[in-house]
This record gives sequence, C-alpha cells and structure tokens, in this order.
Amino acid sequence: MFWLIIALLTGGGISGLLNPDWPVVGPLVSAVKTKAVEYKNQTSPAFDDSGVSGGQANPTAYAGTPVQSASALGPNDKILIATFNIQVFGESKLRKPDAMAVIVEVIRKFDVIAIQEVRAKADDILPRLIAELNADGSRYDFIIGPRLGRSVSKEQYAFVYDTNRIELDTASVGTIGDPGDLLHRAPYIARFRPRTTDPDRAFTFWLVNTHTDPDEVPEEVDALAQVFQVMQTARPDEDDVILLGDLNASEKELGNIKKIPGIQWVVGGGVMTNTRQNKAYDNIIFCAPATQEFTGRWNVLNFEEEFNLSREQALRVSDHFPVWAEFDIWESTNAVH
Amino acid sequence: MDDQQRWRLELKNSNVEVRARAAESLCLAGSESVVAAVDLVVACGDVEDVQNWAAAALEDLGAPPMESVDSLETLVNSPFPLVGYWAATLLGRLGQSANRSQVVLGEAVSDSPHLSIRERAAWALGKVGATEDSAVESLKKAAASDSPRLASLAARALA
Repeated sequence: MFWLIIALLTGGGISGLLNPDWPVVGPLVSAVKTKAVEYKNQTSPAFDDSGVSGGQANPTAYAGTPVQSASALGPNDKILIATFNIQVFGESKLRKPDAMAVIVEVIRKFDVIAIQEVRAKADDILPRLIAELNADGSRYDFIIGPRLGRSVSKEQYAFVYDTNRIELDTASVGTIGDPGDLLHRAPYIARFRPRTTDPDRAFTFWLVNTHTDPDEVPEEVDALAQVFQVMQTARPDEDDVILLGDLNASEKELGNIKKIPGIQWVVGGGVMTNTRQNKAYDNIIFCAPATQEFTGRWNVLNFEEEFNLSREQALRVSDHFPVWAEFDIWESTNAVH
Repeated sequence: MDDQQRWRLELKNSNVEVRARAAESLCLAGSESVVAAVDLVVACGDVEDVQNWAAAALEDLGAPPMESVDSLETLVNSPFPLVGYWAATLLGRLGQSANRSQVVLGEAVSDSPHLSIRERAAWALGKVGATEDSAVESLKKAAASDSPRLASLAARALA
C-alpha cells in the first residue's frame, strides 16, 4: 500500500527506492542473505493490481491502433521482455518528435522493458514518455531508480511495463546495495509477473537492469556475477533471475558470469546490438535450468530497418538497438535448482 | 572545413543551443570524433544539455590522440569535477603511452578535492604505470584510504 501511495504521488511511477534490507553485492553478501530469509515469511507478494482488473492478458486491447502490439511478436500465452539503452534519454531527446515516435513504437512492441541512460536533472522524463505511450489508449506505467554515477554526470535506470499484461511486485523494487563500490551504477531490480487468470501459477521473475562502466568492464562483469548469484537467493520463493542491459561486453567477455552453473545468454554468434552494427554489448542473461519459461525466441530489434531510417536518423534515436526475449506466462514446474 | 572542425568550433559558440547540438553531433559521430577529445572534455564543464552529450561522446571515444596529452594534464586540475574526471580517464585510456603523465595523475590522487577524480586518477595510474617516487607514494597513501574503491584502485595500480 505504501508503494501504491508513492506511485500515486509521483504520477504513476515509483522513484528511487532504496530498501535498507535489499540484497547487496560484495563483502556483506552473507550478512544480507540472512536478512533475505525474512522474505520467506512474506505470504502474499504485493503485486500491483492497480491497472486493469484480473484476468487473462487481453491482446485485443491493442486492436484498432496503428502500432504493432507486443502480442503481434508472439503468442498470447507468452510475454516479451526487452532491454533498451536509449542513449542520453532526457530533455533534448524528448524535443525530437521523430526520435520519440520511434522510441514509442519500439516500446509498444514489448510487455516489459528495462531502460538504461535516463540522463536529466528533471523528474518528468519518464512521465512524459508514458504520456506519449498511452496516447493511443495503452496502459503503460514505469518505475525509475535513483540517479547513479561516480561523477556529477548521473544516469537512472527505469522499467516500463504494460499494465494490461504485466504486474509489478511493489514490495520488490530497489537498487542493489554496493558498499564496496564495485559498480559505477548499481543495478536496479524489480520483480514482475504476467497478468493471468491464475496468478498463483504465473511466471514470476526478477529483472536486474544494468549498465556497466565502459572503462572497467572486466571488473564490473565479475561484480555482476555476484549480483546474479545474490539475486538467485534473495527470495526463497523466486528462482528466476533475468540480468539484462548494456554490459559493454560481448558474450565472449562475460568473465565470471560464464562460470555460473546453467547460465545462458541470448545474444551471441556474431549478432550485433548497436546501431553501427559493430558491437554486441546488450544482452539478456538467465539460468537456463531455473528459467525454463524461456521459449528460445529472442532477437535484436533493428529499428533502422524496421522503420526505414537512415543511419543518421537511427543514431538520433539511440546508438543501441533493443534486445528482446520471449517467455511463457506460466511458471515452469520442471525448473532445476 | 569538415564536420568535426565545425562542431569543435560550435562547442565554443555563445549560444547554448548551438553548443548542445555540436556536442550531440560529435557524440553521434562516434569514434570519428576522437579528434575533438579535448574539446569534449572541456565541454563537460558546460551546462547540462552540453555536458550530457559530451560525456556520452567521451564514453565511446576510445583513446585520444597523443598530441592531446598536455592539454589533458592541465584539465585534470580543472575546477569542474566532470572535466577533471574525463581528463584523467582519457589519460588512462592511453595506457603506457601516457606514462609521462604519472606525476600529474599522482598529484590528482593526493590532492584533488573530488573523490571521483582521485579514484579515476588512481585507475589511470594503474593503466599508464607508476614508477616515479611521487606517484608511487600517492598510491600508497591512497591504498590506505577509508574509501574502499579508492583504496582498491590504488592497490591494484601498485600491484
């Protein structure tokens, strides 16, 4: 209820939550694991039902709109999770109608999308994006993290999600604790599930939104391996951890992440994720034996080709393309822990 | 005059919108803007719109030209913390080619009022190599710092 009140006060989004009981990466991991056990007694996850009333996700809600809805990319019993670094997403980009039109159409293709590089001193960047997204009757909402960064130049992470299709666990939103300052921008994490007729059977999952420092990639990638493992044990009732974002590292540079048993990443094999098509820095990573809800479908959304843009026009949208992956809406009963 | 030269000049324009557009254009040009490395570092001391695009440009720029070393050494001590931060970062990206900058970086590790610059200078010393007594001494003191990150970066630079 508390977060619901905050959400209402902030116009629908939850800003910059820092939970003192949140899992941390680094030397305090073991201590915080003990605290995480407290989650075991949480009998009812506080999923946000403030959107549409319960029931099967209804893809026809998009009918009649000129945009391609998330359901158009996959079956109705699946959801699409994406990551998108919207380079320097702030006031100047909001003032570019052509770039914003592409950003809006891109986001509308997905059910939940992790955004990196919100850069602005103003607090109205995401509310203005949401207003544009919902101008066609869509029901997107957002949560946004605190401004992060070691220099005076800060960035924020955000999650944007379609409340017709996705529910947020409002009690499980926060920024990873990083007392050892291992990460330039500690990941922003939140727990979601698809909106279904049977919430107890719905696929629940953590999203861990990350953007590494390009000058300290090997160290930060190794720290992210710790983050991933901390999140795997953060709640005894949650086995699905999906790390996604701009890692500034290809699949060949995933360091200790590769050593996590069962780890799987979607982008590989020479597929590029940036607009110039020479880097594979964005990815979606999870533990395959636990997250059997992954259907095997994923891709990079090349909006330059999708919207017939010139390279220059595409770069004005972002220097990164979104990466997406598809998951079943029902929790797998075959997960191996 | 090519685009890069024009944008570099426009970064000095009195009109903030012109400067912001120039910084954005240099950012969108990617690594081709490496010739504007020093100008972009200076632009990090500008207003938010300019600063954001300049910092984003610098993130993906790679190592600057060797002829920018003298200017970057001066900029490490800029009163604008983001300018000093990026000057130290670019010197570090040059690796051992910027070994002659170690004294300046060592002074930044010891004396900068901004922790972000002290940390970045320690990181940069790890890249350029610290062999001069003053640089090594700065790193030793920093390795005993209360700041876990500064201490860790300094220890790594000394290793």
